[in-house]
Amino acid sequence: MRVVTRIVEGPVIAENLAQARADRDLAGAPDETGARVSFEGVVRRRENDPHQDRVRTLEALDYEVYESMAEQGLATLAHSIGTRHGLQAIVALHSRGRVRVGEVSFVLEVHAAHRAPAIAAMTEFIDALKRDVPIWKRPVWAGA
Amino acid sequence: MNVLLFGPAARAAGTARACVHVPAAATVRIVLDALATQRPEIAFALPGARLAVNHAFAQADALVTVDDELALIAMVSGG
Repeated sequence: MRVVTRIVEGPVIAENLAQARADRDLAGAPDETGARVSFEGVVRRRENDPHQDRVRTLEALDYEVYESMAEQGLATLAHSIGTRHGLQAIVALHSRGRVRVGEVSFVLEVHAAHRAPAIAAMTEFIDALKRDVPIWKRPVWAGA
Repeated sequence: MNVLLFGPAARAAGTARACVHVPAAATVRIVLDALATQRPEIAFALPGARLAVNHAFAQADALVTVDDELALIAMVSGG
């Protein structure tokens, strides 16, 4: 299984994904690949502010990362879930620092022989990321 | 013993490093209890929180030393 996991500065952009694919020779679909599922986490404009109990307009999110543990956590997660679902490849890229509204903060790409394990792995990975990988986001409210 | 803080806990404490006093043979549970009693400003973040020891989640009965890197992993929100 081929795995690429990275923390990148600022938004995840197309060049980050292209580079990650190139580094693991994932640009094309290998003969055995029947499903390639991609997810992009995007910073949305409207977000609930629990401190004010109302929906507010965001300007950006600032991502704080416990670097040494988060990098290892992403890699461990990818290997664990990839092995469990028999995946061919996983690419997971997450932002550090400021990501503005509409920009991408997280990319997950899963390659598998069939659709079902690819989709199951995708959901499982994101759930585990939000539970186990030490990354925090801080809202930057518009006009604040 | 120093514990690294991140996210809402760090902002509430006003620091990225909390110092707590614990016995010499302290466990993860003792450190978490010490954070609750000695740093009440971060008590809101402790339910469900875990302690990482040298970049890995540790069990409650694991022993820690002053040479370990301890980090409070609470209220993560990646993705």
